Amino acid sequence: MTREISVELQKVSKLYGQDKVVDEVSFTVEKGEVFVMIGPSGCGKTTTLKMINQLIPHSSGNILVNGTDVAELDVVELRRSIGYVIQYIGLLPHLTIQENIAFVLKLTKHPKKMQKDRAEELIETVGLPLNYLNRYPRELSGGQQQRVGVARALAANPDILLMDEPFGAVDPLTREQLQNELLRLQESIQKTIVFVTHDMQEAFKVGNRIGILRQGKLVCLGTPMEIVKSDDEFVKNFIGQGALFEVFDTIPVTRVLQKDFPTARYDQKVDLQAEELEDWENVFIIDSDDSCKGYIPLSSLNSDGSYTADQIIPLPKASSPDISVKLAVQEMLWGGRTWLPIVDEKSGFKGIVQFRSCAGLVAGDRR
Amino acid sequence: MEGVIGFFQYFWDIREMVFVLTVRHAWMALAGVALGTLTAVPIGILISRKPRAGNVVIDLAGMLYTIPSLALLGFLLPFMGLGWLPTITALVIYSWLPVLRNTVTGILGVDPAAKEAAKGMGATPYQLLINVELPMALPVIMAAIRTVAVLTVGITVMGALVGARGLGELIFQGISMMNNWTILAGTIPVSIMALLFDYLLGRLERRLKVVTSSA
Ligand SMILES: Nc1ncnc2c1ncn2[C@@H]1O[C@H](COP(=O)(O)OP(=O)(O)OP(=O)(O)O)[C@@H](O)[C@H]1O
Ligand SMILES: [Mg+2]
Repeated sequence: MTREISVELQKVSKLYGQDKVVDEVSFTVEKGEVFVMIGPSGCGKTTTLKMINQLIPHSSGNILVNGTDVAELDVVELRRSIGYVIQYIGLLPHLTIQENIAFVLKLTKHPKKMQKDRAEELIETVGLPLNYLNRYPRELSGGQQQRVGVARALAANPDILLMDEPFGAVDPLTREQLQNELLRLQESIQKTIVFVTHDMQEAFKVGNRIGILRQGKLVCLGTPMEIVKSDDEFVKNFIGQGALFEVFDTIPVTRVLQKDFPTARYDQKVDLQAEELEDWENVFIIDSDDSCKGYIPLSSLNSDGSYTADQIIPLPKASSPDISVKLAVQEMLWGGRTWLPIVDEKSGFKGIVQFRSCAGLVAGDRR
Repeated sequence: MEGVIGFFQYFWDIREMVFVLTVRHAWMALAGVALGTLTAVPIGILISRKPRAGNVVIDLAGMLYTIPSLALLGFLLPFMGLGWLPTITALVIYSWLPVLRNTVTGILGVDPAAKEAAKGMGATPYQLLINVELPMALPVIMAAIRTVAVLTVGITVMGALVGARGLGELIFQGISMMNNWTILAGTIPVSIMALLFDYLLGRLERRLKVVTSSA
């Protein structure tokens, strides 16, 4: 299956005088994917990111955004079409939170009313109370400011987001919370995100794919699982020993979540011929309000696919989508099952996680 | 006590003249500040883009600033004749250094992260100036304008020597006639005017801040 490519770097370099701070970096970012760039301080992450929206012009190579070479685009238009969360938050101190969030819309001369509506919508998206809109940035905590930074980047509804250590300035707990929220948000908005961090855990957690930079060179590129299995000495040292286990402890269970499980309406027979039943032992019974009533093992269905209400086994204890793969496996081991339902507090039944897809991570299955 | 009552009596007698001179004094000072600001802020913006070339301009303004006001007025006299013109010209020249310097300092002092964020969101250079750089530099620029306003009210006094007909006329008249009441009748309005300008500009600054942030 070929996927659409949103951002592509082809042998991109950046020179400051004689210094090659970015050295022939190439990678592609697929539409809807979170691509993480990681590496030690000064390795060129920010520089690479800023070349994508041309805040820093590249010295050589090609940068394509949605298939077009940025050299052929108007920089102002290019930047307006890409959301940007900068490393040092960079809220405008003389503007209210509302004006900060709607800043792009002001630049593009959208009506005031629309700016206000959008700010109200977005402040909710990032989980801050509505009355914060009238505050000034200095009246917010570091973590709250970073949320506003994310909201601001989303204002013009760009397809592509560049995020430079967006959760850098907060304590580990808030950081984890922000990461979880980003993952949830990403599930609904499906942006293409280029994400810079120097925290390996964060990279494993949010990244579909990770690129490791070292002194301007891209030394390793792949899924979290591919990264931890790299032979490269620098990469091994950089990610640290035991990273293999860490990966399981950080990769969110949503990455192996299955939504294509077989279902049947509560008052209907199961279509035993359906292709989707292949490889599954159970069929899940969905109620008229789309909640899951429980499941029935295929083996206990009548031969015509009918069943009675008392055959339905209630779902076992569900887990939150925020847990890691490791925790999910642990839950399965405890419960003596090979799968686990995932239920979100707010949005309800999300799908199920199977032991075999967790194990599939080891084998290097994509995502 | 008798002296105080006597002074008020005197002040009341010449009130019409004091009023006329105060008005002239005020508009000359205001014109000086306004023209000085209107020339220095744009130049300051330009040279903040090229700080090295800008230093030359600031040094030049600095040299002009050090010329004693009497000498400057005397120098302008042959070109501009008597009256308000050489006076206002001198005021403009004196206002250049503080306003230029603070405009440059203010703009260069804008948080680079804020500028980068605005640029990254697609602000054009003009939008960056209007929406980010100027509003953020405003307090520093306004501080200079307030200093200049107070300074200008004082320098306008010297204008009386080239026939500018401000409150300096009373002060110099009092000095030559050794009449303290006349000196006071000129000095008190000058002081009040300086304080008033400072206060009003402070109010204006707050207004501007609100306007720029909601524009
Ligand atoms: N304007 C510049 N002139 C010269 N060198 C620069 C310039 N900007 C950045 N560099 C150098 O380029 C290198 C990469 O910088 P960059 O900001 O991309 O690092 P980074 O990976 O984002 O680091 P960090 O994790 O600390 O943010 C650094 O060694 C830096 O010193
Ligand atoms: Mg950086």
